Amino acid sequence: MDAWRRLKKNRMAIFGMALVIFYSLLSLLAAILPIHSFKHQVLDHQYLPPSLTKTAGELLYERQENTSMDAAKNEGRNELNEKEKEELSVLKQRIENETMVFDGKTVKVHQKRYFLGTDALGRDLLARIIYGGQVSISIGLVGTLTAVLIGLIIGAMAGYLGRSFDYIAMRIVDIMYGLPYMLLVIIFMAIFGRNVINLFLCLALVSWLTLARVVRGQIISLKNSEFVQAARVVGASTGRIVFRHLVPNTLGVVVVFTTLQIPSFILMESFLSYLGLGVQAPLASWGSLVRDGVDGMKSYPWLLFFPGLTMTVFLFSMNFLGDGLRDALDPQSKNRL
Amino acid sequence: MQNQEILRVENLKTYFNTDDGIVKAVDGVSFTLNQGETLGIVGESGCGKSVMNLSVMRLIPSPPGKITGGDIFFHGKSVLAMSEDELRDLRGNKISMIFQDPMTSLNPFLRISTQLVETLQLHQGLSKSEAREKAIQMLRMVGIPTPEKRIDAYPHQFSGGMRQRAMIAMALSCNPEILIADEPTTALDVTIQAQILEIIKDLTVKLNTAVILITHDLGVVSGLCNKICVMYAGRIVERGSTADLFRDPKHPYTRGLIRSVPRLDKTSHERLYSIPGTPPNLINVPECCPFHPRCEHTMDICCGKFPEETDFGNEHRTSCWLCSDGGGSGGV
Amino acid sequence: MTKYVIQRFLGLIPTLFVIITLSFFIIRIAPGGPFSYERALPKQVLENIEKRYHLDESLLVQYGRYVLDILRGDLGPSFRYKDYDVNHYIKISLPNSLVLGLLSLSLAVILGISTGLISARRQNSTIDYLSMSVAVIGISVPLFVVGPVLMYFFAMKLNLLPTSGWIMSGDRWTTVLMPMATLTLPYFAYIARLSRASTLEVLQSDYVRTARAKGLSEPVIMFKHVLKGALLPVVSFLGPAFANIVTGSIVVETIFRIPGLGRYFVQSALNRDYTLIMGTVIVYSAILLIMNFIVDIIYGFMDPRISYR
Repeated sequence: MDAWRRLKKNRMAIFGMALVIFYSLLSLLAAILPIHSFKHQVLDHQYLPPSLTKTAGELLYERQENTSMDAAKNEGRNELNEKEKEELSVLKQRIENETMVFDGKTVKVHQKRYFLGTDALGRDLLARIIYGGQVSISIGLVGTLTAVLIGLIIGAMAGYLGRSFDYIAMRIVDIMYGLPYMLLVIIFMAIFGRNVINLFLCLALVSWLTLARVVRGQIISLKNSEFVQAARVVGASTGRIVFRHLVPNTLGVVVVFTTLQIPSFILMESFLSYLGLGVQAPLASWGSLVRDGVDGMKSYPWLLFFPGLTMTVFLFSMNFLGDGLRDALDPQSKNRL
Repeated sequence: MQNQEILRVENLKTYFNTDDGIVKAVDGVSFTLNQGETLGIVGESGCGKSVMNLSVMRLIPSPPGKITGGDIFFHGKSVLAMSEDELRDLRGNKISMIFQDPMTSLNPFLRISTQLVETLQLHQGLSKSEAREKAIQMLRMVGIPTPEKRIDAYPHQFSGGMRQRAMIAMALSCNPEILIADEPTTALDVTIQAQILEIIKDLTVKLNTAVILITHDLGVVSGLCNKICVMYAGRIVERGSTADLFRDPKHPYTRGLIRSVPRLDKTSHERLYSIPGTPPNLINVPECCPFHPRCEHTMDICCGKFPEETDFGNEHRTSCWLCSDGGGSGGV
Repeated sequence: MTKYVIQRFLGLIPTLFVIITLSFFIIRIAPGGPFSYERALPKQVLENIEKRYHLDESLLVQYGRYVLDILRGDLGPSFRYKDYDVNHYIKISLPNSLVLGLLSLSLAVILGISTGLISARRQNSTIDYLSMSVAVIGISVPLFVVGPVLMYFFAMKLNLLPTSGWIMSGDRWTTVLMPMATLTLPYFAYIARLSRASTLEVLQSDYVRTARAKGLSEPVIMFKHVLKGALLPVVSFLGPAFANIVTGSIVVETIFRIPGLGRYFVQSALNRDYTLIMGTVIVYSAILLIMNFIVDIIYGFMDPRISYR
């Protein structure tokens, strides 16, 4: 299709698309990837910094060494005394031999490598980010699809049926537009409890507005075109005309809306999680990861930076993709970058 | 009224750089315009007529379009060599243009008075009140009733015909030597068309303005113009006085156009004629007669080379192998 | 034109009513409200409470009371903080939020429009690419990542700016910098992109071509002919932008510990202090409605097609 060809020329959009596909694959295949579990806690391993080469054991050893050296320096010595050396060697023993049982498998726990470090409970950050991605992306996807469904139906009906249905629907949209959606969402969550279903519902309930308006506009302009008249002449019912003929013609705007709304959803969910009203433990999303990271930001900056970076890159890619799609599907917009 | 030459276009080429290739919108066009003359440029949509006229005033958007060859001479001076200041002095002042769609061609956010007055203030150095007076006068001349009240309206408050009249008033307010009218009536009802054309005719005669009228409508051209150029695929294929062209069209395309006009004196049993085929894609045009795929009389030579011009006297010329083979060569 | 203004003003009223009504019902009906007490209270105390909150009267009367109270400016007592009423909290926190929000938005508008206009004039130049890249980053990075990151670099590592505090509470003026920067960024980004796109569109329009054909100079074309059309979408955006910035300021206030309305709102949501929640909502909504009204009027001034029919 023409639009596909146009899209392919937009390098940033393709780049964005590639990244989005990468993220999606990672999320889908997370269960079978050779990464650590996101929920196993090894309290010994808390707050380990990211490292590509050193194992947890080596880091623990180093940490102990540094602490002992600092203590020694405080006492005016330049060398570790016997007691400290003894502690170090006990630690070394543990590191080499201690095992834990995970999912029925016995593992030499200190041989693990944590590429992105660990959090307060000794959980692997990389795994948590991937897992958080699953949660965030699926919230974005499902929420957006719900919003699309609601917006499409209401918008299409308002556009086609006109008159009182249209009037009432647009009044509702106007009123809801004027309210800061976040407030509504927060209230909703406060009243009805903080679980994931409520999260989906209320986010979807406040986001369908724009799509409804846009779809309605499209339908109104298409309503009187000839193919609709032809369908009516042949005797097609209203429902059939609306859903089989008109709606497919709005596909372009729907696709653009979807790609731009998913990041918006993820942002909203992250806001909520950041404030404590979103996903609750033990579930984790990028938003809640950032929140956890902020608390320890001074000493353990990786807990903030990596989730933040991951999320930013994803949103960035989706925005580029969305822009590219909009340009490709509506070639008359002359604002190419 | 000397017939002094005021505009000469020589071998003008305007190309557009698009994603799909180079579009040769105007590919070697030449014509002249004398004082007081009305020149009609006729052709189908997409043949390059508008581009040619925008090129005369150097209004082609520069990426992606570019004047790549030839030159334009206004009173002997090269337009392509003019500086920005000289160009601005030319536009709206010595050469004016009116466009096809008056709704989009007038700024919807400014009052008609503002849009008329600014030209007058700029080119004629009038004060605001003097300019306003003159503007009201111009509106009256184009037939807008109670102009002193209506001048303060916004474009959307005017009807289509009135907007076009306002455009004409705006274009003629500085008494330009040339008025370029780009399909001025295409967007209007037939009855309004006639009125607008009358106005153009009246005023340009009164003010001794030369007119270049661009249109696809032969009827319009026959009523208004004394010279015609027929354009096809970016080139002029036939030119001559209106009388000559209608009486004895030489080029197959011209003949086809004239035949396509439905006539009242034919019976209703005859099918309407239309030239078979479609206009060519202007990307990668090969060196040949651009009309040959649709021509009834096409010959081998037509696919190979662009025809030379054959002169039939009285400025009646055409570019067609048919004519140069058998028809009169050389001439008066 | 006057007709337009009046029309718009009247449109505000139903919305306000809907909000007030919703608010009333939510306070009365929502679970975990003020009527679930930590320990069982003696009957006498319960009766007094009921009397004080007029809970013994019929629902309709209570509703009437509520509406009248609001119209008089009394938003009721806070259910959590038993010593003060909602008005008090709003009074002490609203100015902070307003200052933060208005400053940030104004900065975003000024910077955004200038950037957009310049980018559009010099399309595809280096400055265009640069500013549009910054803009995409601006709308992609979440506020609650920008905030802490700024805090990390400027406050903790470089020690240039304070981590918390607020100018209006008497702290140094540098306390405004990071919150404002955080809140301004996404709006600047969006407005820059928006104005660039709309300027480009206007530059391609027929009426700008006419203006050129009349021999007008570039500055005149830009400021007299292009500007209005290019700015219209931005003005349109300002309405929802105010709503949006309320959300953003909630997060920014939480991160930088600014004593604004947003923070109280979040606290009250977590505490289920419904009168405070709804009081906040009513105030926010009222402000938004007024702002939207002003934006509509400005839009009407700029686009004669709307106000002169």
